Amino acid sequence: MNALSQATAHEKPEQSHDDLRRARELLQSTLTFVREQAKPWPGSGLARASDDPYVISRFGDLLIRIEVAAALQERAQALLAREQDVAEVGVAQAEAAIASREALLAVSNTEFELTGQRSPLPAALDEPLRWKYPLIGNYRLNGVVPPSFRSVV
Amino acid sequence: MTATVQPTRTAHIIHSDAEAIAVARTLAERFAVEASVRDRERRLPFAELDEFSASGLWGITIPKAYGGAGVSYVTVAEVIKIISAADSSLGQLPQNHLGVLDILLQTASEEQKRYYFAKVLQGYRFGNAFSEAGSKHAGAFETRIRFNADGARIDGEKFYCTGALFAHIVPAVAVDEENKAFIAFIERGSSGLTVIDSWDGFGQRTTASGGVTLDAVQVPLSAVIPAHRAFDEPTADGPISQIIQAAVDTGLSVGALEEAKRYARQSRPWIDSGQDHGWQDPFTIAAIGDLEWRVHGTEAILEKAGLAIDQALREPNEDTVAQASVVVAQAKVLSAESALLASSKLFELAGTRSVLGKYNLDRYWRNARTHTLHDPARWKYHLIGNFLLNGVKPARHAWN
Repeated sequence: MNALSQATAHEKPEQSHDDLRRARELLQSTLTFVREQAKPWPGSGLARASDDPYVISRFGDLLIRIEVAAALQERAQALLAREQDVAEVGVAQAEAAIASREALLAVSNTEFELTGQRSPLPAALDEPLRWKYPLIGNYRLNGVVPPSFRSVV
Repeated sequence: MTATVQPTRTAHIIHSDAEAIAVARTLAERFAVEASVRDRERRLPFAELDEFSASGLWGITIPKAYGGAGVSYVTVAEVIKIISAADSSLGQLPQNHLGVLDILLQTASEEQKRYYFAKVLQGYRFGNAFSEAGSKHAGAFETRIRFNADGARIDGEKFYCTGALFAHIVPAVAVDEENKAFIAFIERGSSGLTVIDSWDGFGQRTTASGGVTLDAVQVPLSAVIPAHRAFDEPTADGPISQIIQAAVDTGLSVGALEEAKRYARQSRPWIDSGQDHGWQDPFTIAAIGDLEWRVHGTEAILEKAGLAIDQALREPNEDTVAQASVVVAQAKVLSAESALLASSKLFELAGTRSVLGKYNLDRYWRNARTHTLHDPARWKYHLIGNFLLNGVKPARHAWN
């Protein structure tokens, strides 16, 4: 491993961290809105939106997604600290990136559904998620180390 | 065939977390060899269970003060996951045994703890006679305990008694006239105790999760513990019971994903792919990538759940126990979803030949579908969301 083969040079954990941070912010603002401003669906017969069982379980789903993303980021960081194999580190970072982006999109969808608004999301065009799945799959299924992770020395 | 009233051999004593995991890996390799045959023939794993409990793994949660290893629940979950990846029926069998060990720790007298922990370290296995198929819901019991001059008498009928057929001692839950729950430790061979091998579910086929009848079973007072106290006060008993369930399903997802990769490597290329081999298919490759992050995410949260339980055991109070329940619920949801997804995608990625009976690959899905019914994930989303949105602490019982 050397400077040219650092997985971090090719995978961008900063993007995952931004996605997860934004997901947490949107979760908090949506929670606050539901507690303080949201009206219950009239057909629910409930006094408060925060008593709606489907709203409640939706937040359960979002928290799970966020916690998975956080746990996979931790895992990637721990690997980076002790693992010499750039491919293992890079694949773990790609897994964390997928989890973080998927958590962000799920929170954003719920924000739209429960508040009627959609806050801006971080730019993501230069980190296409669709190419992270085959990167992980090709390594785990076929042992193919992504070209960008191969050591040049 | 039935279990003997005492172990056929004395158990090894495990001394550390690392040793527990190493022993589990060795056992899992052996258990994997005939897992499919056992499932196909519903051949009950008496020999394998003797090996399992003689390995010392059934005593690892016993505190060091009583001669056990007092391992972290991160380790307990890892052990159950490793065994379940090889054979999820074997992985499920210690579930109630480990749950009972914690109820003993929380509610038994000092003398009872010494007695039963010593038994388990020798290799004794607990089964369970907890659930009742006919009661109003999972937490309602009609089995009665009546205290008398000689101790107590138990009468009732139980179902889903995983492990009872293989057990040396059958702990049975019964309620008194105030509806308070006690556990009576009933030795195999006791008069009035009948264990029935009636489990014919399509999954977890070799758990023998059948019935137990209790007909005027008499036990001494020394064999009765006030189990209700494990939930009257905040203890980690609910999360402990649940993390083992989550670890079984996590193991199933790991096992199914490994099979998916093994068979996907041998699959034919699809006609439109323009490839020479199935494993070159870009969509297959991406689908494996999707399963990988989900299974790894599940494993990472299972580990967090173990840490939360360790914390609740160190400092038992309303907050630490609620936190442990919430994190274990996350592991429950993820493990159920990963196990069902991986065991279903397995066929898609391996191709049509993978459904042939000779491979018996459907056992992963049958086991995942059956075992994940233990308690519904839909109420775990609600539990987690209600704590997050409204600050409502989870109800304390064996399913949270």
